[in-house]
Amino acid sequence: MLNPLVGSPDDSRSMYRQSQNNFYKSGDKTSPISVILVSSGSRGNKLLFRYPFQRVDECPSSLSAKQRNPYALNVTGDVLEDQDGDSREQSPLTDEQLVAGFSDIILATILATKSDMCGKKFELKIDNVRFVGHPTLLQHSPIIQVSKTDPSPKREMPTMILFNVVFALRANADPSVICCMHNLSRRIAIALQHEERRCQYLTREAKLMLAVQDEITTMTETDGGPQSPFRQILPKCKLARDLKEAYDSLCTTGVMRLHINSWLEVSFCLPHKIHRIGGNYIPPEALERSLKAIRPYHALLLLESDKALLSELPLDCSPAMVRLIKTCSAVKNLQQLAQDADLALLQIFQIAAHLVYWGKAIIIYPLCENNVYMLSPHANISLYSPLAEQFAQQFSGHDLPSMLAKFSLPVSLAEFRNPLEAPAQEAQLIQMVVWMLQHRLLIQLHTYVCLLVPPSEDEPGLRDEELPLAARVGGRSLSTPSALSFGSPTSSDDMTLTSPSIENSSAELVPGGDSPLNKRMTETQLTSLSEHERQVILNIPAAQNPEDLRMFARLLHYFRGHHHLEEIMYNENMRRSQLKTLFDKFRSVLVVTNHEDPIISIFQSPMD
Amino acid sequence: MATRIECIFFSEFHPTLGPKITYQVPEEYISRELFDTVQVYIITKPELQNKLITVTAMDKKLIGCPVCIEHKKYSRNALLFNLGFVCDAHTNTCALEPIVKKLSGYLTTLELESGFISNEESKQKLLPIMSTLLEDLNATGACTLPIDDSNTIHLKLIQLRRDPPIVQEYDVPVFAECKDLYIKSQWDLTTQQILPYIDGFRHIQKISAEADVELNLVRIAVQNLLQVLIYFGVFYHFFQYSNVYCTTPKVQSLIDDKSIQEECLGYVTKQGQKRASLRDVFQLYCGLSPGTTMRDLCSRYSQQLQRVDERRLIQFGLMKCLIRRLQKYPVKVARDERSRLPRLYTGSHSYDEICCKTGISYQELDERLENDPNIVICWK
Repeated sequence: MLNPLVGSPDDSRSMYRQSQNNFYKSGDKTSPISVILVSSGSRGNKLLFRYPFQRVDECPSSLSAKQRNPYALNVTGDVLEDQDGDSREQSPLTDEQLVAGFSDIILATILATKSDMCGKKFELKIDNVRFVGHPTLLQHSPIIQVSKTDPSPKREMPTMILFNVVFALRANADPSVICCMHNLSRRIAIALQHEERRCQYLTREAKLMLAVQDEITTMTETDGGPQSPFRQILPKCKLARDLKEAYDSLCTTGVMRLHINSWLEVSFCLPHKIHRIGGNYIPPEALERSLKAIRPYHALLLLESDKALLSELPLDCSPAMVRLIKTCSAVKNLQQLAQDADLALLQIFQIAAHLVYWGKAIIIYPLCENNVYMLSPHANISLYSPLAEQFAQQFSGHDLPSMLAKFSLPVSLAEFRNPLEAPAQEAQLIQMVVWMLQHRLLIQLHTYVCLLVPPSEDEPGLRDEELPLAARVGGRSLSTPSALSFGSPTSSDDMTLTSPSIENSSAELVPGGDSPLNKRMTETQLTSLSEHERQVILNIPAAQNPEDLRMFARLLHYFRGHHHLEEIMYNENMRRSQLKTLFDKFRSVLVVTNHEDPIISIFQSPMD
Repeated sequence: MATRIECIFFSEFHPTLGPKITYQVPEEYISRELFDTVQVYIITKPELQNKLITVTAMDKKLIGCPVCIEHKKYSRNALLFNLGFVCDAHTNTCALEPIVKKLSGYLTTLELESGFISNEESKQKLLPIMSTLLEDLNATGACTLPIDDSNTIHLKLIQLRRDPPIVQEYDVPVFAECKDLYIKSQWDLTTQQILPYIDGFRHIQKISAEADVELNLVRIAVQNLLQVLIYFGVFYHFFQYSNVYCTTPKVQSLIDDKSIQEECLGYVTKQGQKRASLRDVFQLYCGLSPGTTMRDLCSRYSQQLQRVDERRLIQFGLMKCLIRRLQKYPVKVARDERSRLPRLYTGSHSYDEICCKTGISYQELDERLENDPNIVICWK
């Protein structure tokens, strides 16, 4: 177990802390400290099981003997919750010790709640520990009927009224982690409730657990040797083993799959563990926001080979998922994928989001020769990283750092093309780029453009007060995944002028030329501009060409810095060269910059 | 984010009636039902004494710190009580915790010194105290309570920012607004001593040297400021004209967000000049790209830089994450069998770091490495 709370003071002297240290820190905040099962019933409140085991010989008072120098300054960045300053006198306890400090009896008292609190999220914070669970009521099973001939009185089985699967976390755990843990507790509770109703599974397991506890207590009294009853419970109770497995998985991979009573499956993943890059995790809310914003021109990149992924799927998974996995590719956008896999686009979005959530895939822009890539700021470029080794194994004769150095400055795939090289070389290059994308080593840069008219010298005051176009032009929702836009299906520059996207394009099929209709339309589109802006634009030499002006006006709403070149190309059915020429002609009022797409950049570099 | 306290209660273990709420303001806020459900967390078993307990139930959050004073003079040989707060279930109550803890400490002391709580007459003084607490904490976040002739309690709500970053020696602290706004006397001595040296250009090590304050103390003071202040930041920066920066997607916020715009233009305009235009500043930021050094930027955009201080431009951009710095990392990819394993040229150490550790200058390092065929340079 990782215990950064008891850190060494030497760390503070290293100037450049490796990101690995942060990994442990955030890993700890997303891991539970303990899992506890309690019940309440006719026998009172009982702690049925807890893991990790409390070492009976280690009582909390002995821990204070390991005190640090009370005058030592806490510079390792571990901020203890108590601001009174009293905390400086004690040595910071490790996480397990914090929870181990709670006896079985007190845990049973505080975690087996009153029935009022059942069916809702349970959250209790005691000093630096936060307990989260979902107390659940059980319906009583009918009293066992004894045959009429039996003279002995009817025996009442001890009944369980409610139970609670509780996870103990560090008090400063992220609210989204707390939410996830509560979700898991609730899911396990539902499964247990179901199995209880069906075959009294929980009652039986509880009986076993309590029997072992009683046995060990008696033994301790007679022998005097301290033992943990919970250790003895493990081999006898499947439920105990399940809970242990849940805890272990949550602390390591974050992916968990239990079979309660070897029957009901409870699967769960902790996004904070799965979606990690460098030392940080991608917050689930950010993940969800990204997933809601993906567009048909994006592509799905699997993080494992399709065969490996298919073998992981459960037997009863949907055939649509299987089809999607078999058909998807780094060069195909989601719209094409929908066509090839013969699925609705909406379904593709849903399955893609599911795969992304479970850490099996990421969203990228489909590979094509005009894509510009650069090293991700979070890429691990160390000579000795495990990635370097994997790369060398997969692509013999090449080493990762040399390859990465090629992407130091933004470079398009086209620049690697060498007509003298065999096509096999090129194919290998694509494979390497895909590999690097899968391992979050590269980010893709896109061009964004923003309209910013030079301020007028006559009225400086007015200029400052006016908001730039971006803030004025209302938000046209251009990012609804459910919208079936029929724009250009391919991502490459090989544009075929198919029908314009219905929702997003303002291209009307009007006759060309300088017709009054076109002129009026252009004027309308320019009304969102201020008088000054309009003047400046109309004074640009290129604006004298009605075609150019019309195109400019039509695309005006994209010039807010939120739509990259490829999006405009996709929505408006235009060639890259057309757009670039337009930008150049109107460069005196446009500001162009290159950066990653914030919607999908989250997969390569989580926002700090 | 304001932490609103809905109710303050005083609960104790009555010798015959058991756990009950003796006083609460406003009256009748905590229902019989709610108290029944949570009483086990309020008047607790001995194991939970003096622990800060926060429980959520029936859409409410209750924070308290149970106290148990054992003495023969009490019926049942012990006095158990708990002064706690009630908030809405969705409130973030971290700021209230130190106050609850302090109050429990004060009440314990008062009881031990003068039997404040066990004496029925003096106990009644709690009610007006609780009313004042509720009113003042909700209104101003602070409260000063005279308890009796010789005792006064001072309480303050401090909203702490989450987990401040660990401050390193080469980090530069900076106030994003005028630091004269802060009254010096409210800070501790160390902070007062280093305040004059925080100018957004001196890094921690330099501040320590010039202010003659021990390095670790400077770090703690800065970390403390980070926790408490909003317009205060720390970032790693070593400004040189050979530095390379590039934009992040957040640069667009300069266009979208009026407040960031205002802040930026105010910050980056050269002293004594007319305010820089948004277009100029935005163009400057967008001019930053991989392969472009600060020197290049200055020569290419000299017109835009007439009214803009380029150092402050970079500083603001870094603070608000509009831009980020690209650093060079050398990696020794080929070596002959006999030479040592690369120690610094592994891709884990940037030029900056190597220069600091070895003491050689940037230019010198560049000269050494650029022409070495065994070394590749990665920028990120």
